[in-house]
Amino acid sequence: MYLSKKKLTPEDVKKAVAVSIAFLIVIFAGIFLAYWNIQILQNEKYSQLALKNITRLIELPAPRGLVVDRYGMVLAENKINFTLYLVRENVESLEKAIQMASFFSGKSAAAIRQIIDKYKKYANFYRIPIKSNLPRSTVIFIQSRQDEFPEFEIGMEPSRTYPLAEHAAHVLGQISEIDDAELNAGSASTYDLGDLIGRSGIEKQYEPYLRGTKGSQTVIKNNVERIQQVSSEITPVIGDTVVLTLDLRLQEFIENLLAGENGVIAVLDLKTGGLLALVSKPEFDPEVFSREMGWEEWQAISNDPQKPLQNKFLQGIYSPGSVFKIIMALTGLQEKIITPATTVFCTGSQVFYDRVFHCWKPGGHGTVNLFSALQNSCNIYFYNLGKKLDIDTIARYAHLMGLGSLSGIDLPNENSGLVPDRAWKMNAFRQKWFPGETISVAIGHGSLNATPVQMLKMIATVALRGRMPKLHLLQRIEKQGKVVREFVPEFFRVPIAEENFELVIEGLFRVVNNEGTGRAAKIPGLDICGKTGTGQILAKENPRYKMLTQEKKFMPNSWFVSFAPRNNPRLAIVVLVENGGDAGSIAAPLAAQIYKKYFEK
Amino acid sequence: MKDFFKYFDKLTFVLLLLLAVIGIFLIYSAGHPTQEIYYLKQTAWLVFSLLAFFVVFALKTDFIFRKAFAVYLALLVILALQIVIGGTVARTKSWFRLWGVGLQVSEFVKVPLALYLAKMLAQFDVINGKAFIKVLAMITVPMALIILQPDMGVSFILCSFVPLVILLKRVKRSVLAVSFLLVLLCGIVGWYSVLKPYQKNRIVSFLNPSAYKTSTGYHIIQSKIAIGSGGLGGKGFLKGSQSQYQFLPARHTDFIVSVIGEEFGFINTSILFFIFFLVFYRQFKFNFQNDEEFYFVFLFNGLILFQFVINVSMAIGFFPVLGISLPFVSYGGSSLLSFFIGEAIIFRIKINNYLA
Repeated sequence: MYLSKKKLTPEDVKKAVAVSIAFLIVIFAGIFLAYWNIQILQNEKYSQLALKNITRLIELPAPRGLVVDRYGMVLAENKINFTLYLVRENVESLEKAIQMASFFSGKSAAAIRQIIDKYKKYANFYRIPIKSNLPRSTVIFIQSRQDEFPEFEIGMEPSRTYPLAEHAAHVLGQISEIDDAELNAGSASTYDLGDLIGRSGIEKQYEPYLRGTKGSQTVIKNNVERIQQVSSEITPVIGDTVVLTLDLRLQEFIENLLAGENGVIAVLDLKTGGLLALVSKPEFDPEVFSREMGWEEWQAISNDPQKPLQNKFLQGIYSPGSVFKIIMALTGLQEKIITPATTVFCTGSQVFYDRVFHCWKPGGHGTVNLFSALQNSCNIYFYNLGKKLDIDTIARYAHLMGLGSLSGIDLPNENSGLVPDRAWKMNAFRQKWFPGETISVAIGHGSLNATPVQMLKMIATVALRGRMPKLHLLQRIEKQGKVVREFVPEFFRVPIAEENFELVIEGLFRVVNNEGTGRAAKIPGLDICGKTGTGQILAKENPRYKMLTQEKKFMPNSWFVSFAPRNNPRLAIVVLVENGGDAGSIAAPLAAQIYKKYFEK
Repeated sequence: MKDFFKYFDKLTFVLLLLLAVIGIFLIYSAGHPTQEIYYLKQTAWLVFSLLAFFVVFALKTDFIFRKAFAVYLALLVILALQIVIGGTVARTKSWFRLWGVGLQVSEFVKVPLALYLAKMLAQFDVINGKAFIKVLAMITVPMALIILQPDMGVSFILCSFVPLVILLKRVKRSVLAVSFLLVLLCGIVGWYSVLKPYQKNRIVSFLNPSAYKTSTGYHIIQSKIAIGSGGLGGKGFLKGSQSQYQFLPARHTDFIVSVIGEEFGFINTSILFFIFFLVFYRQFKFNFQNDEEFYFVFLFNGLILFQFVINVSMAIGFFPVLGISLPFVSYGGSSLLSFFIGEAIIFRIKINNYLA
């Protein structure tokens, strides 16, 4: 800029040197300050970032807690699931690797190629899962020849297993991977992607106890996420053990008893309110949900008209049929509409509000009182009782006895059933109640419906003369052998006089022991009391009812609710056989066999 | 011969050697995670460079200036041939294999170009239009060939001769104005036609690194993290997580200063910078006897200073990532050899006074 002479003078040079040195000092001071700023002043921030770069927290899944029956028999536990992985960086020939993967997994080469393609963008050392639930023989084969197959790795993950397969499947329920919606739902969610969560049954009900506490591993990783070392580890803690009130031997006995039929049987310990057995048919294999399931398999299970996934004990809704007559009798007595001396003459049919209503016995029962009406399940007697009662009164007693609301049993996804009354009718149909409808409800039909658990709770309340038990499956929860929660039996007093229960029980005793409709359940010396019921299939499902009653799927449902012994009762049982037909010959004998099995030991 | 040794600037020589040895240690650390043997290659190159240093040092300065233009032309021919035939190493054609050793020919243009430019500057009174065009042609022809290789880093470094010439010589105002417009034009044309997308990315990502976290801005961010996390004393040799777990890109070349920043900390990084300062100080400050020698010393020292400043600013995000290495320290035999040859000439110039 300033040197213009052809020949430089020493002064020129001196000046140039001085300017250069000054320039050097400025430049180096600037660099020094810039590095001071980043290395000293901002050191903390960049140290954090460097640490964030290399450390990763890996969660270690906790094994779920066990579920056992009252005697400690294992219903749900954990096993090791072997998964075959392919690691591309160890592959010598991809073609050969695909062939071997296909051989080990039983999947087609094309399917293997598809799987590998999905992981194209992942680093070469990433373990590509080829197949889970690898058979043990394959695992041994690969592990013993690991040097021949460096590209394959066997992974071990805990997975849920139900050693008794479909036994008590509906009680246990299912687990499956948590979905995105649930993950994002609660801000307090402590679940992570890929975690398993209880979906139904005990697995869902006691999820907080069963899931255990996850462990974690802090690892040092490099720029492509390859683990360099493990810096610290917290071991996972297995979930708590859930002890159920179930008696597995009784459960299995009943499952065999009901083989081939669809329906529900549940057995209640009246001393505690705990269920000894809960069978809902058909059943399913709970393990299918823990393993990968094809779309077709899922469709087949979820669209099965027999509803294997539904726990019919608390989700199935049915017309209670004649079982409801117990509540009618209690209502009549408590409201002082009837006494044991009240009689009705049954001719087999009677006209109410210009419509003919039939008794089930074409010739009629002749003169009937409360006891014989229950004993022979005479419809005419209860039609007349219904006519004298208001629907809202009937509904009030039905509610008192547990219908129309959740039973509160410790299982999720319960249905409440329906107890119709004026308000409901107005709400649902914008119509007033027709008196003729009350006549149908009086024998447990019409819009009335209920779940088997409600029927069981109702008969238990009758057996206990108005002390309604809290139903439950949980006996206790143990954490490493120590009891952390135990069920204490609870009973609620129903505001119906005890002597009225005694009168109804007399009728129920005659049902079984005095040549009544439930005589097939009679066991000498055991004083079983019960009530049969024939719940007609809802009209909307069966438009051609009369013509098709011979067809199995339109046969009425058979009910038998019962308890024993009459005094100081110990056991209550609900039996529901779907499309069983005549309750007295189908449902009642099943109950008898259960009593026999239970009391003979 | 005795005088040769007596007046030979031993301190500066030791400082240069020290830079190269520090470089080899850093290159060892940089190659450690992937078990590269760059440090062995660099050691071999250093031995060869020192041999070349003394050979050139022994040559008469007049002779060197006389031969500069021929060497310059020969290199242009080789560069042109490379573009036509060239093999590809690291995305560029700039590598040339000679007896099994990779040579980056573009690196060698620096010395003869500085020599010949010095000679030209010594001949002009004032730089008028004609002279300026001559100077520009001398610089832009190799630059163009090197851009076509494509090697942005070296061609950008050659660029530095233009401001150096303007600083050293009086240039006519009109020439300055025209050249300013030309630079603007070149910039626009360059952006839209010459620069490859990845090169543009580097420049854009420099302006806003966090928006390019996973691509090119990644380099700047990781380098800043490495240097910043080094703190006062560093994390220790082979203990820098950024270098050893490979978060730091181009550790042995462009980002070698990030390795020392992380593993040896602010104190040692400052010492490295201070060595550079001393070298520059001693290479600028001496008595010149001859015009062309003066211009050469200033041009070549200026070039090294320019490259140094760009490299260390790039590592902390003050300059785009253009593939510019740290003189004497970064891995790269051709660069090392070329710088030692240039330094040998300066060392010789420094004793010419006493020998005369």
